[in-house]
Amino acid sequence: MAAFEDDLLALLPRLRRFARALARDAADADDLCQVALEKALRSRASWQPGTRMDSWMYRIMRNSWIDTARSRSRAAQTFVEEEAGLAVGVEGDAEGRLIQHDIDAAMHALPDEQREAVALVLIEGLAYKEAAEVLDIPMGTLTSRLVRGRQALMARLGEAA
Amino acid sequence: MSVDPEMLMAYADGELGPIEARRVERAIAADPALAEQVAQHRALRAALSTRFAPVAEEPVPDRLAAMLRSNVVELPRPSARAKKLPGWARWGGAVAASLALGLVVGHSLQDPGYVRTRDGQLYASGALAGALDKQLASDQGAVLTPVSFRDAQGSYCRVFTSRAADGIACHGADGWTLRQTRPGAQQGKTDYAQAGSADPALMAAAQDMMSGDPLDAAAEAQARSAGWRR
Repeated sequence: MAAFEDDLLALLPRLRRFARALARDAADADDLCQVALEKALRSRASWQPGTRMDSWMYRIMRNSWIDTARSRSRAAQTFVEEEAGLAVGVEGDAEGRLIQHDIDAAMHALPDEQREAVALVLIEGLAYKEAAEVLDIPMGTLTSRLVRGRQALMARLGEAA
Repeated sequence: MSVDPEMLMAYADGELGPIEARRVERAIAADPALAEQVAQHRALRAALSTRFAPVAEEPVPDRLAAMLRSNVVELPRPSARAKKLPGWARWGGAVAASLALGLVVGHSLQDPGYVRTRDGQLYASGALAGALDKQLASDQGAVLTPVSFRDAQGSYCRVFTSRAADGIACHGADGWTLRQTRPGAQQGKTDYAQAGSADPALMAAAQDMMSGDPLDAAAEAQARSAGWRR
């Protein structure tokens, strides 16, 4: 197997995690992975060996998400708001652990630009600078989206978060 | 002094330089509400990591893996097999990890003495063990120890960063056991690691292991003089 495909395969678990944070369910997330992988394989000439493949792939995936999400955002948003509404008032267990559904609903209630910042920094563990580069925005824009996204998540998840 | 929400968040994520971090720490000391907000930021990071970590552990669906393996003989999937391996595999994993770390350390510091293995467990040795024993969070050096805490069993654990490797080590009867190791985020930068720049993912891992709050300077000094025994 060529090194390029090998490296992509090694990244795939993290890419699926990022996709799951962006997309609204597991099936959509794997569809997004497929679209992003197709795009990466087609544009492998633009990959510069020696640079970070994870950042390159996160960027491709995020752009793919914007492309596919735009066409269906209106319908999805209505649905997500309803689903998120149901989660309000649901308590965590005795240890304050939030159930998966609460977190998913809170994530999907965020505007895309905040959710992608939260996903890159808090879930994928990128430094602010790296996340700003993936999103192609200045550091100040990244931190302001990140802080607003976190405040919204904390407000929605309540004391337990 | 006022601390804006972005700066407080950056502090919680370990994204501030040492001078800014000290400013925020002074503000926190004067205002418990700020300390609470830092704790909330870290708790949110831990909650999100915990929620999404299992996705990266799942076996990759065949249809995705196949896109990267077209015209190639099907290979076993390491991630899918790892979960089914028996107990001895953890031993192999530790050896593999020590080899990987040894390579990193060997290349960057010409000092393979950072790590030793015993019974398949990784331990700090040499300069790393020395730093973990003696350094406080405020000390500078080739190894930094920005955060100390107690885990759920009450053992003292410390986050360390260096050019060669970053990780978390916990103190036990046989010295410092390495619980997390990864190539140093400081690699290829300067001779001395920079304070306040610990890998956010590492900090999140520490947050997950932590019982209560990180040690403050006084508690850390006390733990050091007690030889890090719980």
